[in-house]
Amino acid sequence: MFLAWKEIKYSKTRFALIIGVVVLVSYLVFFLTGLAYGLAQENRTSIDKWEATGIVLADESNLNINMSMFPKELVDDVEASETASLGVTSSVVQLVEESEDDDDSKVNVTFFGVNEDEFIFPDILEGESIQNENEVIADISLKEEEGYELNDELSLAGIDTTVTIVGFTDNAKFNVAPVLYTDQPTYQHIRASGFGEREDEIISAIVVQTDNGELSEVALGTDDLEIYEIDEFISNLPGYNAQVLTFGLMIGFLVLIAAMIVGIFIYVLTLQKTSILGVMKAQGISSKYIGKSVVGQTLLLTLFGVLTGLGLTLVTGIVLPNEVPYMNNILFFVSITTLLIIVALMGAFFSVRTVVKIDPLEAIS
Amino acid sequence: MKLIELKNVTKTFDDGRKKIEALKETNFAVEEGEFVAVIGPSGSGKSTFLTIIGGLQTPTEGKVFINDEKFSELNEKKRAKKRFDEIGFILQASNLIPFLTVKDQLRLVNKINRSSFDKNDAQSLLDELKINDLSDKYPSDLSGGERQRAAIARALYHDPSVILADEPTASLDTNRAFEVVEILGRETKKKKKATIMVTHDERLTDYCDTVYVMKDGVLNKK
Ligand SMILES: Nc1ncnc2c1ncn2[C@@H]1O[C@H](COP(=O)(O)OP(=O)(O)OP(=O)(O)O)[C@@H](O)[C@H]1O
Ligand SMILES: [Mg+2]
Repeated sequence: MFLAWKEIKYSKTRFALIIGVVVLVSYLVFFLTGLAYGLAQENRTSIDKWEATGIVLADESNLNINMSMFPKELVDDVEASETASLGVTSSVVQLVEESEDDDDSKVNVTFFGVNEDEFIFPDILEGESIQNENEVIADISLKEEEGYELNDELSLAGIDTTVTIVGFTDNAKFNVAPVLYTDQPTYQHIRASGFGEREDEIISAIVVQTDNGELSEVALGTDDLEIYEIDEFISNLPGYNAQVLTFGLMIGFLVLIAAMIVGIFIYVLTLQKTSILGVMKAQGISSKYIGKSVVGQTLLLTLFGVLTGLGLTLVTGIVLPNEVPYMNNILFFVSITTLLIIVALMGAFFSVRTVVKIDPLEAIS
Repeated sequence: MKLIELKNVTKTFDDGRKKIEALKETNFAVEEGEFVAVIGPSGSGKSTFLTIIGGLQTPTEGKVFINDEKFSELNEKKRAKKRFDEIGFILQASNLIPFLTVKDQLRLVNKINRSSFDKNDAQSLLDELKINDLSDKYPSDLSGGERQRAAIARALYHDPSVILADEPTASLDTNRAFEVVEILGRETKKKKKATIMVTHDERLTDYCDTVYVMKDGVLNKK
């Protein structure tokens, strides 16, 4: 470490440049990770909130909840420790006082029709629970990003109904849109777009929870329904897998590139020093000592660069506007830091190999 | 006491087509406190001789003893360790590490030894070599003579029993060269080292106890 540190101190500019590159690349990696994670979360927070084991959809829906519709009586055919019926429909809302021509004030949302006594009913962060028809509990992002308040009245597109926000809950996003929770009657009304109140009530899904987390426990009494693991359901959300894979690949390659940059820099520096390293070996300084110093130097550079990049990312995360779906995830950040350092060290081992191969005799003659 | 001893040492390079006898059978010894000069024309085998003693290459035949230990028979790792402990090298171009100050060159030895840096030790050594006020300078900020004196300090610092100098004055003008050789001779006596200096310049041998001439791989006392 002595040699490593002294050399960094001596060639400040050179090492500042290397660290600068590491900072920028790791900043990019961390920031992308935050974005990818945030975006992924916006697809699924409302689902994760359930802590459910599985979800029952109509057999012909092909895992697409928007295509899943069945009479609510089918709930009785599903046997599990906990069941909850869920109606899903997307819509567009707008504060009633805004002009209908003002497209900027319209917000895409997803309505969840739920029953208050079932486990998927949201916890209230602010305000109170639903008492009457046409009352909703909204995702807090509508307050943070759109400025909606309690008791705000919202008009719905294509239907002559308004709903009132009586409470806010958090972590309620479905497919990147904020969720509005209503009771079942309101949901039925919105789903049918107000046309002819139908006798039979239609729901989209039955969410189930089992005691041991296994689906085998659940009995379906009908062929019209199909049950899926909740993870399978999430990864089949429209666009979800494509998003996660795209970001994952990008981040993976960036990690590799960052590590290669460090590895190549260190390798070039080592090659440049061949003769002086040869002299050191002639003096009897072991390859082990020199190699340790090369690895130590790589560790110093990467650690410093990566942590600075991480710091920058965290700061950016704070100043970023709420609309950007950025989210910190300690686990990802820690594993990416570790990964970056490990791969950079692997690059350093190429340099160590060169050090071992240097012939002191050549260096001094 | 013999600090360096060569018994029947030869070195032959075989590049497949012909054999070069760089060093013919040599018997040689240097006593404690003895300052030896080796002169001879280019290509005569001086560096080969010196690097065999320093354990940077092994003799084709014969044995090298350093401090009564069969140095040439040790494996490479042990030889490197022994070299670090027992031998101080001074080379033509300075063998100083460019990114360490003069003081840190010495401190590196402590780091490797895992011993503590003795400031007074270092100071008095640098004092003797008249480079005390340069201890915080980097090699690139020193003159050629100062650099060679710093290299001598580095070679003496870990108290080796043997000093090997391959044309230590090649990059210096005559006055500086004399100064460096004089210091080398003085330190050899004072610290009871066995010192071998290879040089082209016969005038520099005035400070030496014994002078050998190398010619076509044969070493003879002058
Ligand atoms: N690795 C080697 N392979 C083949 N031949 C070598 C090798 N090293 C040295 N020689 C040969 O051995 C002879 C002695 O070389 P050496 O370097 O010892 O000479 P020298 O006396 O130090 O010369 P100079 O004064 O120019 O430094 C030369 O003929 C040289 O070509
Ligand atoms: Mg030579």
